Formats: sequence, structure tokens, C-alpha cells
Amino acid sequence: MRLVRYTYPQTRIAPASLFARSPWAGLETEIDRFFNSALTDFTGPNHTEPRFAVDLYEDDANAYVRAELPGVKRDAINVEVVDGYLNLAATREDGTAEQPATTRFSRSVALPEDVTPDRVKATYADGVLTVTLPKKEAAKPRKVTVQVS
Amino acid sequence: MNLLTSLIPSLHRSSVVRRGHRDEKLGATVKPAYTVKETDEAFGLTVHLPGVAKAGLEITAEEGTLRIVGRRAWSRPEGWTALYRESSDATYLLELDHDNAVDLDKIRAELTDGVLRVSLPKAEAIKPRKIEIA
Repeated sequence: MRLVRYTYPQTRIAPASLFARSPWAGLETEIDRFFNSALTDFTGPNHTEPRFAVDLYEDDANAYVRAELPGVKRDAINVEVVDGYLNLAATREDGTAEQPATTRFSRSVALPEDVTPDRVKATYADGVLTVTLPKKEAAKPRKVTVQVS
Repeated sequence: MNLLTSLIPSLHRSSVVRRGHRDEKLGATVKPAYTVKETDEAFGLTVHLPGVAKAGLEITAEEGTLRIVGRRAWSRPEGWTALYRESSDATYLLELDHDNAVDLDKIRAELTDGVLRVSLPKAEAIKPRKIEIA
């Protein structure tokens, strides 16, 4: 069984019931928004280690890592595969001409076991970095039909 | 809406609702990270919208509110299984009240690499001005 951790979007989806919207729904939504904004204010732009969201997918042939890195230049992105981990590092120039500021991102993602480090490809579009990691040949599922006699 | 609010009119949400709780045709939404800087002449808004291309971006200004909607351009291909997700597929929605402090005709916006930069020149009425003492 695989557990996939997912960040749920803000809007609550009310369960189907006689009262499709409970009297508390408005209050709960307001409290959720209050806490969300309070917590994100703590981890604002001045936080020591800015974080970025990473998704991990796979299909039969490859594993894929998508990282949300808006506003980064391609040559400021560093992608490495070391010891079964994918290391992503990037720097972004923020701030204005008078006050340049650099934001550094770095993150290590554990890769599934059947991934080979060669022939890894990465593309960056619309602020999202997509890394394609081919799987080992032997790991690709092959269908074997067995006759029962 | 639902059966109860149609039967009892007083429970129906009026058109003047709290900001952000309109019946969004957008479905689930997520608020993007943004910063606003101010100079004497204008406000500078920077919004991080990773995964949004120009085609999915919509900026409207009405009634003293600036509204930015960003739809993500990428959808998961068929064969892909998600193993671990931190981002969401929800549309980005950002609503900022500026209370008519902005000159709507002069708003300029550009979107590169998932970062939207909007320049919002201040309306003449609110720019700082010197007052002469007679």
C-alpha cells in the first residue's frame, strides 16, 4: 500500500447531507484561513531556509520529480543524483537593483530503488522543474503468462 | 444552491458576501505567495505562480479589488502514478483590496518562469504632495 501525502486546497467540500452547508462551515473556514495565514507569516520570505514543493511520480519506464521553483534561471539550477538521492539546488535573484537579494533553495529527494543515475533529463518550464529518471531495465514489469497444466 | 436555502430565503447568501467566499466557479483554490512593495509612484506586486502560463492567467480589476486567477498548465499524464505530492492542482486565486488607490489604466503585468510582476501606479489622489502654507 502506498501512502501519498497531499496538500489539500483551501475550499472545503461539504459532505452530502440534509443540510449541505453546516451552520459552522463559515466559522470553520474563517478559522482555517486565520491559522493558515498566521503560520505562513512565520515562515515568510525571511525564513532561513525557504522551502519549495516537490512531487514524485512514476510510470513503468521512469520516475519523475516535479519541483516548484518560480523565477529561477536555468543556469542557476543544479540537479544531481547521488547515492539514490536526487539533490536539487537553485538560487534566485530577488530584490531590486538597489537591494539585490539572493534566495537559495536546496532539497534532497529519496528516489525509488529501481532508478538508474544515467540518462537523467531535466526540463524547466513556467517555474516548474521536471526531472525524468529512467528505471533499470530489469525493473520494468514484464508480463509472464503461465500455463497451468 | 441546496434545498434548504431555496425553501427559506433568509438562509440564502446575498450577493454581498465576504471576500473569498463567493461561489467560485473555479472550484478549489489556493492562495499564492506574494509580496507588495511600495514607492511614491506605484505599488509593485510579485506573485509566485509556478506552473501557470500566460494562457491560464487572468487579471481583473473591479470595485477597488484586484483579482488574479492562475490556472495550471500541466496535467498529470495517464500512466503516471503519484508517489508523493506536496503541490496541489488547485487554481491560484489572489484578491487584493486597493480601495481605488490604483490607476487602473496604467497597470502593467508580465509573467516569466512562473513569477508574475504587476506594476500598479498609484492614483493621483493618493500620491504624496506638498502642501504650501500661506
